[in-house]
Amino acid sequence: MVIGSMNDAIIMLAAICFPILFGAVILLMPEFSSRNRLLGAVGTGLLVTGILALLTLGSGEAGICLFSLGEKLEIFFRLDNLGRIFIVIVTIIWILAGFYSFEYMKHEKEEKRYFGFYLMTFGVLLALDLAGNIVTYYLFYEMMTLLSVPLVLHSKTREALMGGLKYLFYSLCGAYMVLMGLFFLNRYATTLTFTAGGTLNGELTAGNEKVLLVVVFFMILGFGVKAGMFPMHAWLPTAHPVAPAPASSVLSGLIVKAGVLGVIRTVYFLFGESFIRGTWVQTAWMTLSLITVFMGSMLAYREKIMKKRLAYSTVSQLSYILFGLALLQGEAMTGALLHVVFHAFIKSALFLSAGAIIYKTGRTNVDDMTGIGKEMPVTIWCYTFASLALIGIPPASGFISKWYLAEGALSSGTGIFTWLGPVVLLVSALLTAGYLLPITIKGFLPGADFDYGSLQKREPNLWMVIPLIVLALLSVVLGIFPNPLTEYIRTIVSTVL
Amino acid sequence: MSEYWILAAILLPIFGGVLTLLIPFKNRKIMMCYLEIVMLTTSAIVWKLILNGTTEVFHIIHFVEDLSISFKIDSISMIFAGLVSLLWPLAVLYSFEYMEHEEREKIFFMFYSITYGITLGIAFASDLLSMYFFYELLTLSTVPLVLHTLKREAVLASRKYLYYSIGGAAFAMIGLVFVIIYGVTCEFQLGGVLDMALIGERKNLLLWVYLLAFMGFGVKAAIWPMGSWLPDAGVAPTPVTALLHAVAVVKAGVFAMIRLTYYSFGPSFLRGTWVQNVVMGFAMFTILYGCSMAVKETHLKRRLAYSTISNLSYIIFGITLMTPLGLAGALCHLICHAVMKINAFFCAGAFMQKTGKSYIYEMDGVGRKMPIVFGCFTVSALGLMGVPGLAGFISKWNLASAAVESMNVQAYFGIGCLLASALLTAIYMMNTVIHAFFPGKDFNYGTLAGVTDPSWKMCLPLLVFSISVAVLGIFSGPLVHFLREAAGV
Amino acid sequence: MDFIQNVPFFSIMISMFSGIVSSILSEKWAKRLNTAVILAVGVMSGALLIWLCRTGCGSYIFMMGHFPAPWGNEIRAGVLEAGMAMFFSIVMLLSMTGGRKKLFDEVEYSKHNIYYILVDMMLSSLLALIYTNDLFTAYVFVEINTIAACGLIMIRQNGRTIEAAVRYMIMSLLGSGLLLMGICMLYDLTGHLLMSNIQQAMADIMANGTYRIPMLVTVGIMTIGLAIKSALFPCHAWLPDAYGYATVSSAAMLSSLVSKGYIFLLIKIFYRVIGLDIIYSSHIIGILFIFGLCGMLFGSFSAIGEKDIRRMIAFSSVAQIGYIYMGFGLGTQEGMVASVYHILVHAATKSLLFISAIGLTEVSGGSRSFFALNGSGYRNRIAGVGFAVGSLSMVGIPSFSGFVSKLLFAKAAIINPTWKMFPTVIVLAISTILNAIYFLKTVIRIYTPESALVEEEKGYYGIRWNQQRLYTVTIILFVILNLILGMNSQPVIHLIETGLANFA
Repeated sequence: MVIGSMNDAIIMLAAICFPILFGAVILLMPEFSSRNRLLGAVGTGLLVTGILALLTLGSGEAGICLFSLGEKLEIFFRLDNLGRIFIVIVTIIWILAGFYSFEYMKHEKEEKRYFGFYLMTFGVLLALDLAGNIVTYYLFYEMMTLLSVPLVLHSKTREALMGGLKYLFYSLCGAYMVLMGLFFLNRYATTLTFTAGGTLNGELTAGNEKVLLVVVFFMILGFGVKAGMFPMHAWLPTAHPVAPAPASSVLSGLIVKAGVLGVIRTVYFLFGESFIRGTWVQTAWMTLSLITVFMGSMLAYREKIMKKRLAYSTVSQLSYILFGLALLQGEAMTGALLHVVFHAFIKSALFLSAGAIIYKTGRTNVDDMTGIGKEMPVTIWCYTFASLALIGIPPASGFISKWYLAEGALSSGTGIFTWLGPVVLLVSALLTAGYLLPITIKGFLPGADFDYGSLQKREPNLWMVIPLIVLALLSVVLGIFPNPLTEYIRTIVSTVL
Repeated sequence: MSEYWILAAILLPIFGGVLTLLIPFKNRKIMMCYLEIVMLTTSAIVWKLILNGTTEVFHIIHFVEDLSISFKIDSISMIFAGLVSLLWPLAVLYSFEYMEHEEREKIFFMFYSITYGITLGIAFASDLLSMYFFYELLTLSTVPLVLHTLKREAVLASRKYLYYSIGGAAFAMIGLVFVIIYGVTCEFQLGGVLDMALIGERKNLLLWVYLLAFMGFGVKAAIWPMGSWLPDAGVAPTPVTALLHAVAVVKAGVFAMIRLTYYSFGPSFLRGTWVQNVVMGFAMFTILYGCSMAVKETHLKRRLAYSTISNLSYIIFGITLMTPLGLAGALCHLICHAVMKINAFFCAGAFMQKTGKSYIYEMDGVGRKMPIVFGCFTVSALGLMGVPGLAGFISKWNLASAAVESMNVQAYFGIGCLLASALLTAIYMMNTVIHAFFPGKDFNYGTLAGVTDPSWKMCLPLLVFSISVAVLGIFSGPLVHFLREAAGV
Repeated sequence: MDFIQNVPFFSIMISMFSGIVSSILSEKWAKRLNTAVILAVGVMSGALLIWLCRTGCGSYIFMMGHFPAPWGNEIRAGVLEAGMAMFFSIVMLLSMTGGRKKLFDEVEYSKHNIYYILVDMMLSSLLALIYTNDLFTAYVFVEINTIAACGLIMIRQNGRTIEAAVRYMIMSLLGSGLLLMGICMLYDLTGHLLMSNIQQAMADIMANGTYRIPMLVTVGIMTIGLAIKSALFPCHAWLPDAYGYATVSSAAMLSSLVSKGYIFLLIKIFYRVIGLDIIYSSHIIGILFIFGLCGMLFGSFSAIGEKDIRRMIAFSSVAQIGYIYMGFGLGTQEGMVASVYHILVHAATKSLLFISAIGLTEVSGGSRSFFALNGSGYRNRIAGVGFAVGSLSMVGIPSFSGFVSKLLFAKAAIINPTWKMFPTVIVLAISTILNAIYFLKTVIRIYTPESALVEEEKGYYGIRWNQQRLYTVTIILFVILNLILGMNSQPVIHLIETGLANFA
């Protein structure tokens, strides 16, 4: 079954299948004779996929139902505006981080496996963004978890193995909570296809609201696991830092967003926001996300290992988004979607710069980074720009999204949360400044008694620097020219609210 | 005429098995061909019968008055018979390589073959008594297989297996007699055969009896607290553990439960009574108990055995929903689990045979050395976890949808159990897979020198099963449709 | 009157006279005579059975010398009696042939002659117990039976058997004493000794409502007496030694026939002397039921704890007798049928077990210890098969005889839902498990091969079937008997039903 033009549908499928198959082929092939060949192949794969993904964007309303796993279990892809946003950020960051890996992965073994899974995950993420119903979404959600595990435990140290397993089990736990919801939706919804405004069957639902509210709460919690929402956040600071830096950057920047997308699809496209507005589910959801915002920042502030600190920061920032979604209010949702985009670029940039530091100096502890700005000025400048954006200093991007979030909260009419939300966001922003900026400050201003003699130029090469610069620029520039994006997001929001 | 074909299907492997012992084969290869031909012929007959469709009742021997050994083919006997008839020839093929270094293989193959016939007997039995007859024979014919190695633990395990099974059957027989007395007939009929006029005030009594019989058959289906024989019986050679203790024997228990619940007592009689809550509670508890024990266990085969316990209770959970959809879900998992678990066991067997090791922590790095085996194992693991696109997801989906549909609050919690168990399954299966593929940073592959994938005889069944796991997961439509029809949805 | 109606009288007489004649015959001829007599009795009873079924007359009373009561002595024959007589002689014949070899090993040659005399006497007393219609005659033959049984136990002379025989004698005499007291009291109350007369008088007494309690006491005493003699729990203390140490033919006959003779007499007393209604309305039946259940459990428990295979089988008899009394205790027609069927089943199975156990111990250095039996099923294959079949039958695997009686018991319990229903079915199930534990444990052991080294060291040897033809044939016949009872039970059940119907 094809909706819209056949060509568009084929491009869509190609964008999904090509990287998955390409990655699988790389995995199954015997060792490449030289590293360059491998990189060539991977580079081609990344670029082709990128082009295909961008071509997909151009197509109009297109959809394709591939086949059915069983009754009502259709594998169905469809492009909508929400999906487009996600596709764009996924494509940009994935390709950039991929090129960054060319240099970074030099000091790791078994690159073939890494790149194979990296490409496959790319395809799966695109499929997630294109998924047209919850079954397809769930299918690729599980695949994403499984395929990204090898990225986490790549180094095969004990720590990495434990981190990988923790990641796997937490994610699966979340996935199964979602699956629970699927079973109920299968009965109570008219269709499992994502439809703006919800698909619940009024007649069947009547009288069963209590059960369904529990179910929707489970689904939010389940997707929330991926998005690091309290109380299922503990995997994130363990798993993200142990992965190679480019992998952490996509994990923290994009894969966690799959959870966010899942929540959006569930709440706004399946149950419908009216179903949970004013119920205990909304309250619980807001409470949990605010707790996470604050707790994530506090933990990041106390953390000394840089990548872990960034991971905690992700926990906190993702819950900004979840809070924005929980408010069920137009402005807030706009802010949340903006933050999805901004945070993706920012966090990737931050992780990539942390990776650059590790790659060049091997330092991981924040306290060891005194004077690092002198050694790697470009990296640290990029880091600084990204940090400022995350803190939300105008005109950098984070400010815009937080503005919308706060505004949305204030006009949401959710009782205590109308003011508590903005306050927590503000406190958290301060904490963000507190944990991100010291690196810049110490890096550039190591103090009077610092031994400048030991410093040497350690700037990484262009493979690593260019992606960094691009991402850092994006995080700032999008804040300066936010209007086209904001307008686009508003159109999405207007369809669901 | 097709009645005699039923008899042929049952007797052929039985006599074929006995002949194995009597014929002096020149070498193993001839014996292998002979056995494989017997198996394939039997399977061919079974499929001929299945394709011919349902049949009338066919009486063989009268025990007492109107109680006889009689056969009939209905849709769920087709499902069970079809399942075992596909698995058996492949399992025999696998056994040839596996048993190469074991002693007394003729006796092994004799009983292995006899068990095939008896399992078919269970599938084709047309009433509780006939089924009971084959059910008891199944116990007897499988004990020598558990006993095979003759080591002390094998003797103990086979005794335990025997006592548990016979004991379970003894309690099941109480149910059998009640059905004979309170039933209109003792033949299986979808929807039950109880004579409501005769029961009158004694409904509660009958419910107690159902509970007894359910738990009696539950022994073979390893429901808690009667399942502890199953991990112990893992001392048997792997083909036995894989085919019998993951499929034929334990599924015979489940099959008997289906016959008891849906074809004798009738779901409408049981639905909504306290006994439904009790049996469903047992199933739910067993689901979690099996997984938790599997997580705790470090011996590979025992871990898989505990996993079987848990998965069998998925099926039992489906049965206890007492709705046609529940039955369809149960049947679906019956098939899917059979394929996945036999695959997992065969992989475990290949690993054990090639390396001589049997604990999870000894598995480090074997994934690299035995890519086919552990690739297949991973497929099974993912399938058991319920990853969409593989068989396990389909059955879980059907079970859980049935649970939602049944509008039974306890069943909602049952879904929770299913999912919690899926998570635990992920823990114990993925842990194993990761041990195999990611042995740790400084692992020395030299310690695994000489470990390779086994020959085609072992690999072929593995690949066939793995592919079927995927195929079942992707193209489940016709199967589910058939199952629903069988269950009378 | 047809000639064939003389069969009961003839069979009793020829067996008795053959005993007397045997005392002057040599061992060899005594053996032949014995075999011939048992065969003849079997054939004649079979013919009678066929005649009874053909003519459809069911039963008849045979007056010895045509003297009517109260002077004459009566014999009553019906399908059940004829069937029992035939069955008993078959089992007896097989027990004799199966244990013949062992007899030579265990019993002094000079005593063989006596042995056959005792067996002849035993047969005649059993037949008399089956056929008689006179309580006092019954008592006389009970005593003859006891004496013959003691002799059979004691004939293998070692300390154990003498002790066992003395114990058996004491318990048995206690039992027969009680029976005698009961008969005296009955005579006192009713003035009759013929069963049919007593029953009429009994009905009058009950209808008048006088002497109720003495009547009850009388019945109780007689029941207890026969229960002791047939080793109902808790009066079974004499049994394991007597069955366990006697020579194997004796053990087989004692367990499968002697105790069954008493039980059959008890059935007759219930039906023909006291009347079913009176029995069923008294508490006696409930007490039998409870002791029956206890016997089923405790017999098996003791068997599980036993390390000596012969004693284990003996204890199993206690459990099986518990089944039979439990069937009585149900107090219904169906229960009675099940019990009578179980008498047959147990007779056929238990003697098979004794006979095959002896074959197994023989090839295990003569040791009867359970642990010595490893691999004996391979050394003596036919004995192994026999033991396995017997065990499976006792456990109640379908297609063997034990299953049918189990099924009948369960049906009997369920079809009349009283308080006895649940205890019955549950204890049946538990007892099945217990049976499985000790019997199948042994089966697994005899089929677990012993290493060649150990076998050589202990001097074990294998026996092939052509070294023991008679034994092999015996076992095969026993197995066939078992299978017939297991797979073609309907005619037998039908026979029992009509027979019991004729009793009343």
